[in-house]
Amino acid sequence: MGPRSLSTRLLASVSILLIVFFGITIAALDFAFRRVTEQAMHDRLEAQMLALISASEEDSSGGLLPAPEKTEERLKNPGSGLYGEILRSDGYPSWRSNSLTGTGLDFAVQLPSGQRQYRQLHRGDGSPVRALSRSIAWEFDNGVTRTFVYSVAEDLEPYYAQLNRFRGQLFGWFGLLMLLLLGSLAFLLRRLLTPLRRIEHEIEEIEAGRMTELGAGYPRELLGVTTNLNALLRGERERLARYRNTLGNLAHSFKTPLAVMRNLLSGVPGRDLPIGKQLDEQVGRMDDIVKYQLKRAAASGGTGLGTAPIDVRSALEPLRAALLKVYADRNIDCELVIAPACVFTGDREDLTEVAGNLLDNAFKWSRGKVRMTAHPISDPTARRDGLRLVVEDDGPGIPVDERAHVLERGARLDERVSGQGIGLSVVRELAQLNGGTIAIDESPLGGAFIEIRFPAT
Amino acid sequence: MRVLIVEDEKPLRDSVVEQLRQAGFNVDAAADGEEGLYCAREYALDLAIVDLGLPKLNGMELIKKLRAEGKSYPVLILTARDKWQDKVEGLQAGADDYLAKPFHFEELLARMQALLRRSGGWAQPVLRCGAVALDPRTQEVTVNARRVDLTSFEYRILEYLIHRAGEVISKGELTERLYAQDFDRDSNTIEVFIGRLRRKLDPDDSIKPIETLRGRGYRFALQRESAA
Repeated sequence: MGPRSLSTRLLASVSILLIVFFGITIAALDFAFRRVTEQAMHDRLEAQMLALISASEEDSSGGLLPAPEKTEERLKNPGSGLYGEILRSDGYPSWRSNSLTGTGLDFAVQLPSGQRQYRQLHRGDGSPVRALSRSIAWEFDNGVTRTFVYSVAEDLEPYYAQLNRFRGQLFGWFGLLMLLLLGSLAFLLRRLLTPLRRIEHEIEEIEAGRMTELGAGYPRELLGVTTNLNALLRGERERLARYRNTLGNLAHSFKTPLAVMRNLLSGVPGRDLPIGKQLDEQVGRMDDIVKYQLKRAAASGGTGLGTAPIDVRSALEPLRAALLKVYADRNIDCELVIAPACVFTGDREDLTEVAGNLLDNAFKWSRGKVRMTAHPISDPTARRDGLRLVVEDDGPGIPVDERAHVLERGARLDERVSGQGIGLSVVRELAQLNGGTIAIDESPLGGAFIEIRFPAT
Repeated sequence: MRVLIVEDEKPLRDSVVEQLRQAGFNVDAAADGEEGLYCAREYALDLAIVDLGLPKLNGMELIKKLRAEGKSYPVLILTARDKWQDKVEGLQAGADDYLAKPFHFEELLARMQALLRRSGGWAQPVLRCGAVALDPRTQEVTVNARRVDLTSFEYRILEYLIHRAGEVISKGELTERLYAQDFDRDSNTIEVFIGRLRRKLDPDDSIKPIETLRGRGYRFALQRESAA
């Protein structure tokens, strides 16, 4: 997984924190609520128990019954959810509340005198009830003391329903609160990160060549970044221009003496020198080395930030026109096939050098037909299209066994291949410095087929 | 043929000038762009050789000015930078060919001859008019396949006339194009050379290659042959 954006990271972290905090808070509230309601139920059952005991009266058969007028109404109604029972210690059911009718609830309790029991029981249909039992010794009017177990119980369903209602409200409110918090955080982040997004957008524009540097009006914290980045962009462009100019001057000051030497050698005094031919060859070698190394050094070597994509047609048309002019005698038919919207992302000079050398070679060797084709190389995962450049001619072509030789690393300056000159070595170098590749094949036209591919980036 | 070379490097300029003179050209030389522009305006030239890296007025500007002033003779650029962008711009500015330094003089000569031939409307390297054929590369002249020996100056007059075969060329123009400034510019000498040429090319007065148009000049009268 790739690196996520700052705001996604922050929102994710804050969400996790909120979930943990809210989770703990919800658990604590839930626990407290359950304790309080449990205690309330226990107290209620104790109160019912006391009421039942105090309402008890002796009956004729030696049992106890609550006086009907003092009996809680719910105990009289079946299905009310409150139940009661008075059991004599010998197992005689002294009294069972009307509400027990049909519930299948059995207290099934045996307690020594003075003991109490608080527990959970189940009705016949399985629904839970909370039950309190208490054993007491009752002294009858006739002086006999008997032990009775009083039991009261209450359905747990309403309690659970209440608990669920409480939990529902708890989650609802806390969820809403969390959404509100995250929403406001996202809004704040958006506002806070606006300048960063602007930088991102402007860098994209610079990459696409629609802007040359970042705009003004950034907050103080980012000014250091933006001004330095602009200085870097400007410096880079100026450096390349200055560098190229220096190389040009170097070439000029180096080649002029070479030209003088060559002319002196072919002039009157030089023509008669026995070593004239050898000296001339050495001049040629020096020229080749300078030409190759300077062209290589002058290459921009890839995408300069802030340079617009080059319209391939606008770079190749003038080259074609120039070569047609130079080779006017040869009546060469030079076809230029350029796909629409074909651009080169890189330096115009690099493209012109590559295409110029290839076209010049093709014109040199052609018998009458030269073709240059340019197509974009698309890649959905890449931001910018690549470029496929093919130059073909109907000349003698490059023999298969010499192709690898031409493309070997390190210019074959000393052993040049069949008149291709250093053109192809320069083209290979420039293509590779721009991340491209070169391939040689045979053209359907009959001569050389040279393909340069600059991949999508 | 009168050519101008504009090159700031003195040893190179001198060496090229010397060799061009030996090859039979009437050569003017300039050391910077402004001097070059002056020469190009003042003299009737057949071709100019211009270095791109010139002081005062650079080569590109010089060519643009020449073309803007309607000078249509061929221009060959010399460049040490050997950048395609420069070559393309030079050719767009109005140059007709380029040569990268260091060059062989033979290469320069061949390019110049090709440019001159093209500017005269010739498609083939050997210029043929009727029975007369002239090869600028070897400076060989034949009439009906018979070789004719000419002196250097006779050859230069004939080359100029054949280059522009069919056009009327005045004595003054011939003098200006063929004589260096310090030569004796007596138009009678031209008449003498034309007379000698006629005798050498046409001893029995059968093909009449050079026509005299009284008061106007000369014309090479034989029909151009464009076939290979």
